Amino acid sequence: MKEKKYVMGNTAIARGALEAGVRVVAGYPGTPATEIVDECLGVPGVHVEWANNEKVAFELCTGASLCHVRALPVMKHNGTNYVTDFLMHVNFTGVRGGMVLISADDPGGLSSQNEEDTRILVHQYAHLPIFDPSNPAEAKAMIKEAFDLSEKTELVFCLRPVTRVCHARGIIEFDDLPADLPAAHYEPDRERFIMSAVEMPQFGGIKRPQIRHRWLNEKQAVLEEIMEESLYNWVEGGKGKVGLIGCGMGFTWVKEAEQFLGAKLPLLKLGTLPLPRKKLLDFVKGLDRVVIFEETEPFVEGLCRRIFQEERIGVEVLGRSGFLPSDGELSLAAVLEGIEKAAPKVKVRKPETPAMDIHIPIRTRTQCVGCNYRGILHALKQTVRKHKGIVAGDIGCHDAGSFRPLELQSTIYCMGSSVPMASGMALSGVNRPVFTFIGDSTFYHNGILGLINAANNKINVNVILGENTVTAMTGFQPHPGTGMTLAGEKTTPVNVPKLAESMGVSYRVVNPYDIKQCKEALEAAVKEEGPSLIVSSMPCYLLSTRQGKKVFEPREVKVDPEKCTGCQICINDFGCPAISFDKEKKKVSIDQMLCVGCALCIDVCQKGAIS
Amino acid sequence: MKMDVVISGVGGQGNIFASLVISEYAMKRNLRVIGAETIGAAQRGGAVVSHIRIADGEIFSPIISRGQADLLIGMEYVEMLRHMRLLNPKGMYLLNAMKIPTVLNNMALDEYPEKSEILKAIRKYCPNGHVVEASATAKKLGNVQMTNVVMLGALAKVVPFFEYAEMKLLVAANSPTRFKEANVKGFEEGYQLIK
Repeated sequence: MKEKKYVMGNTAIARGALEAGVRVVAGYPGTPATEIVDECLGVPGVHVEWANNEKVAFELCTGASLCHVRALPVMKHNGTNYVTDFLMHVNFTGVRGGMVLISADDPGGLSSQNEEDTRILVHQYAHLPIFDPSNPAEAKAMIKEAFDLSEKTELVFCLRPVTRVCHARGIIEFDDLPADLPAAHYEPDRERFIMSAVEMPQFGGIKRPQIRHRWLNEKQAVLEEIMEESLYNWVEGGKGKVGLIGCGMGFTWVKEAEQFLGAKLPLLKLGTLPLPRKKLLDFVKGLDRVVIFEETEPFVEGLCRRIFQEERIGVEVLGRSGFLPSDGELSLAAVLEGIEKAAPKVKVRKPETPAMDIHIPIRTRTQCVGCNYRGILHALKQTVRKHKGIVAGDIGCHDAGSFRPLELQSTIYCMGSSVPMASGMALSGVNRPVFTFIGDSTFYHNGILGLINAANNKINVNVILGENTVTAMTGFQPHPGTGMTLAGEKTTPVNVPKLAESMGVSYRVVNPYDIKQCKEALEAAVKEEGPSLIVSSMPCYLLSTRQGKKVFEPREVKVDPEKCTGCQICINDFGCPAISFDKEKKKVSIDQMLCVGCALCIDVCQKGAIS
Repeated sequence: MKMDVVISGVGGQGNIFASLVISEYAMKRNLRVIGAETIGAAQRGGAVVSHIRIADGEIFSPIISRGQADLLIGMEYVEMLRHMRLLNPKGMYLLNAMKIPTVLNNMALDEYPEKSEILKAIRKYCPNGHVVEASATAKKLGNVQMTNVVMLGALAKVVPFFEYAEMKLLVAANSPTRFKEANVKGFEEGYQLIK
């Protein structure tokens, strides 16, 4: 029975996978892809899980696929980077049950540490096919077809939605779910699935990797033929010698822009990689110039240039290699400006609005009022200042400690990089104590490897593990320290002290709501040679509140204006959004509407003005 | 026919509920609707914005571009300013008279503009609009979290496209059982706020 629902792109993608009969879904949370995994949950016979990192998720899905069932690894672009090593093998072996990698990109870095285009990694480097959806409905259709094509070609397919597809909402048609899923079975095929440098006598003694490489190269012609017929590529006729090419979300922006143009220009819609070569060549016949709109790198642009060069076609190719902005998201304004420059004869109606001549304060995110990270971050801030320390940071809610007013962490790169970076700082001879702050989800992702290395090489780093027992930043996904699976089944949470013991790392478990205890532990760690671990252990305040659990006994907290000297330690070294400073009176006060009574600030104030 | 709506506010103010009611309303009238939300880390007290695009013909981008919005619903002064230029100056704004200072404002590291200045800037940009005490009303009714339904009530009063009875039904239908009665009350009060 068909039903129409107004849902998010990620829900549409999940539904498509379920309708295609996916059996195993695994991912690691990351905006904008997170909801795809959540939305797959609840269908009998379908295993859905949060893996501790994307590589584990991907490898697990490959195992399922080799048993002839359909599998869906879900991640954001950073995760796909992390999977690269495995990806560069599975492309050579291929898969059995349909396998579709969701690699969601975040142009503009709206919720990311970087901005990148995973089409390059998946298609250019791993030579795997990609569908690039222009909207949620197309994403749903694409994922269903990708599963079929993956089985047909024995290759992993990739769906690359961008944020504006994942988090867009639209009216989506829900079809029935398959009545039953195919049974799993496994037959060994060592010549294919043992990726090793062994001689292949039947190929004159050439080593296996080269033969598998040849296999992958031969698949490209098959893929090109498939994409030539694909319904996700089409041409819309128009007038003039300037053609527009819209890829994925880029197509959507071109369609939006058409409403502002005095004439309809020829338009080629692209949604696949490899490109439909014949369709492309037909399209450019009679054109002097094409402008390519894509998110975010000039990737299709480069492929087009190559094809035109091979075919000795003199059409001018413009796009994101400088003609359009080379970074950030596309926008109506950018597309209209590009068209105006490329086709000066076409009338472009550019939306103009009056300027706003007023200061608009930025609203950066911070830890929640009541968050336990604020206690340990404050203790760390003061310890670091005292000992002239350096803090290498990591990904998670605690990263807001690097923003004003705390400005604590000095570096933040990618998942788990804090401990190795701090190790390098310690070994550089900089002669200052080195700290790292890492959350538990990130620790289990791969941060633990840095700690093992530091232990094994006796590196003098102080690792603060923020153990809030959940992946809080992306919306409370469980991880190996939670003690519960995504489906709500009880598991044994990792015991960090035992882990530290087994590595020979000294550890101290502290309550982050006890600032004195935190400071003492930090002091002791600084004085110690070799790696020290401080486990700042307390469940996430926000999640606990939602679950009706208390992580502290709330109490009314007030500032005594007589005692407040206006020193602002509670602001600069603590930064609770409920505390504000009055410039005229030179006093702080607590907004009782915002305060949740965690009472941390009582211990922060050194003048005894908060009680 | 088209109705492009932007709802801007601070995480936790109930933008998404309001945007879902509006979208569902469009669906009930057999119109096309697409939208976009801020999801993720910004939900934690950060700036959030929802785009809802309603039309009787094809709609393409889920994002409303500069000057294209027919209606801008501001749940907070500064968040309204932040997205002001999405509004067509000939369109309409609906502003909740609510100030939520930023962390840096509180710490006196950044200035929050005076309310009078904000209103002057808004009115200079777009003469057609209403400022309503939605949060104050919600608080009076017992829960500031009801700001969004009060705003929807006010919306039904000032934009004829949003029909009162149908909107009220959708507010009730989308509310969890324990908040249903209160939310409907908030909606009704919101409708009465603008004379």
